Amino acid sequence: MSVAQVRQYMVDGEGDAAVELVQKLVAEGTSAQDIMNGLTEEMGILGDKFENFEVFLPDLMIAGDAFMQIMGVLKEHLVKDSEGEAKTIVIGTVKGDYHDIGKNIVGIVLQANGFNVVDLGADVDPVQYLETARKEKAAVVGISALMTTTMPGQEDFIKLVSDAGDKGKYLVCIGGAPTSVEWAERIGADVWSFDAFECAAKLKKLLG
Amino acid sequence: MSTFRMWEVFAKADEGKFYKDQAEWMLKSFIPEMKRVIKEYNIKYDKHTIVNQDDDLADRAWAAAKDFFVSVGVYNQDTHRVMKFTEREANEVLYTKRPCYFVGAGHDQRWLRVRSVEDKEKRPFHLFSPDANFSTDIHKKACMAYLKEPLLDGLCAPLLEDFMGRKAFSQSPTEVAAAMEHAMNLRDAQRLVGKPDVWTVSVGTAESAQAQIAAGNPVWGVRQSHLDGRMVSILTEMTTNNAMLNKSLHYREYGNVFGNLCGAIYGGHAGGAEGTMILQLAYNIEGACLYGSCWALNFPFHLKWQSTTTRELLWVQSVLSQAMSRNSNLIFLNNLFANAGPGTDQLYWECAAHAIALECCGGNPWGAATCRNKFTDMATPLESRFYHEVNEASFKMRLTRAKAEELCQKIVAQYEKLIPIDNYGKRIQEVYDMDKLAPRQEYLDQYERMRDEMNKLGVEFAY
Repeated sequence: MSVAQVRQYMVDGEGDAAVELVQKLVAEGTSAQDIMNGLTEEMGILGDKFENFEVFLPDLMIAGDAFMQIMGVLKEHLVKDSEGEAKTIVIGTVKGDYHDIGKNIVGIVLQANGFNVVDLGADVDPVQYLETARKEKAAVVGISALMTTTMPGQEDFIKLVSDAGDKGKYLVCIGGAPTSVEWAERIGADVWSFDAFECAAKLKKLLG
Repeated sequence: MSTFRMWEVFAKADEGKFYKDQAEWMLKSFIPEMKRVIKEYNIKYDKHTIVNQDDDLADRAWAAAKDFFVSVGVYNQDTHRVMKFTEREANEVLYTKRPCYFVGAGHDQRWLRVRSVEDKEKRPFHLFSPDANFSTDIHKKACMAYLKEPLLDGLCAPLLEDFMGRKAFSQSPTEVAAAMEHAMNLRDAQRLVGKPDVWTVSVGTAESAQAQIAAGNPVWGVRQSHLDGRMVSILTEMTTNNAMLNKSLHYREYGNVFGNLCGAIYGGHAGGAEGTMILQLAYNIEGACLYGSCWALNFPFHLKWQSTTTRELLWVQSVLSQAMSRNSNLIFLNNLFANAGPGTDQLYWECAAHAIALECCGGNPWGAATCRNKFTDMATPLESRFYHEVNEASFKMRLTRAKAEELCQKIVAQYEKLIPIDNYGKRIQEVYDMDKLAPRQEYLDQYERMRDEMNKLGVEFAY
C-alpha cells in the first residue's frame, strides 16, 4: 500500500480503487501533497509517452479521469497543506467550431500540471468565455479553433476583452491546427503554442 | 444515393440513449468498444509495412469496423443522444448502395465508382484539390489554373479566405457571401477554360449549413443533381449535430452526388494505427447510414503533423481501402495532406508515396493539399499534376501491392526524417505566372527532375 500503487491505479483508470487507497493513506498520515506530487509526476511521464506516441489519447483520458476523481478527495487536504491555490484556466472551442480533440488534450495536460481547468466545450459564444473568466477569476482563457473560417472568433474574443475593460486581467491563449504564431501576433493573443505540452510549459513559466 | 430512410434516421437523434456529456459516452462506450474490437479481430500493425499484402487482415478490419459502428453508434451533440443502427439496418444500407455514379455532364462527364484491389480495368477518378485558402484577388485564376490540368476528372476548388476585406467567419454574412463568390468564380472559371460541366465538389468555403444552402443556385452557383458534389463532415469522433444533419437534408433534396468528409486522428480517441484504421472504416459506414452519402473522402491524419503521408497513415489508408474494395460497394477517395509545401522536393516525394500506396488498394486520388493546410496561397496545380500522374502511372503499369510496397519503402525513406521540419516552400504567385496560369520555368524543371527520379525507380508515366 503506497503512493506508487495509487499512481498505478490512476494509469489503469481504476479511480474507485485509487480513491479508497488515498483515503487510507491520508488517514495513516501520508501527506496529501506527497500523493499529489506523485500523481503529477506520473501524469507527466504519461504526457511524455503521449508526445512520443508510445501511449495515446484514450490512455491519457482514462488516467486523467481517475486523476480528477482522486483530486476530489485530495482537494480538502491540499488546502490545509499548501499555501497557494491552483490557477484557473477557462478553455473552449470557438463559436461555430465543433472540433474539440485538441482542446480536450490541452485540458488534460493542464490539469496534470496542477491547473484548475474549466472546460466550456465546443461552439462557445465569446460572451460565455468572458463571463466565465470573470466568475472563476481566471488567470487564462484558452480558445481553440480547427478551421480557417472559425479562426476569426479568436480575434473577436480579444476585441471583446478589450472593449469590456478586461484587458490585462487574464491572459488569452490561442491554438488549433490552422493557427500560427504569426496569426497570434496579428490578433494580439498573449500566448500561442504548437501543442498541449508547449502550452502547459509556457503557462507555467508565465504564471509562476 | 442510398435508399435508406432519411426520416427514420433523423428520428434516432431524439430516441437514442442519453449521455449528458460527450466525454462520458467516450469513456463508457467508445474507448472500451474500440479496445474490444482491436483485440477480438486481432488487428495489429508491425510499424514498418506501408502497403498491406494481407487480405485476411483487410477482411477482419472490415468486420471489426462494422461491429464497432453497430456497437457504438453516433453521438449527437445537440440532443446528447446516441444514434444507433442495428446490424440489419447497416446491412440494408451497404447492400443497396450504388457502386457507381455518372458525374458532370457533356464532354466533362465521368464515372465515379468502386474500384477493386489491383484493379486492371477501372482507372482511378482524379479529383484535383488544393484544400487550401486563396486570396480573393487570385481565387478565380487559381480555379482556372487547376481546371486546366489534363488528368482532372473533378475539382474541389481553392477556398476563399476573405470577403470584401473581411475574413470569412463561420455562420456570419461574410461566410455566406464568400461561399456565393466562391461558387460564382468557379462557374466562370469552368467556362473560361472550356470545362463548363466538370463535376465540382462545392463549396469548401461554406463550413456552415446556411452558407452551403446559400451557394446552391443552378444559374450561378452549385448545380443540382449529378452536376456537382457536396460534402458533409463526420465530426470527431463518431459524432454529429443538427447542422450536419441539416446539410445532408439539403444535399438530398437538391439531388447532389454528395459525400462525407471524414478524418480519424492518429493518436486521438481511437489510439494508434489499428484503432485509427477501424475508426476511419467505421466513418465510411457511418456516412452511408447517417447521411445517405454517395461516397466518402478519407483523410486519417496525424495528431501532431496534420498530414496523411506518414508511414503508419499510409498503412491505415492501404488497409481500409482494401477492406472496402473487397467487402462493400462504398465509393471512396483518399485525401493527400502533405507536410511540405510547393517548390520543395519533399512535397513531390510525399505525393508519390501517397499516389502509389493507394492506387493498387482500390483507391481514388484526391489532392494535393500541402504544408499541413496551414497557409494561404500555399498550393499549386503543379504538385497535383505530379501526384495524379504518378497515380495514373501506377494504374497503367498495373502495379501489384507487392511492387507498390517495394517502391513506397524507397520513397518514404526520402522524406520520413524531414517530416518534423517546417518545409513550407513557396506561394503560388512565386511558382506560377499568374497571367499565363502556367508554372515558371524553374519549377517546371524541378517537376521534370522529379519525374526523372520516378523513372529511375521504375515508374513508367503514361505520357
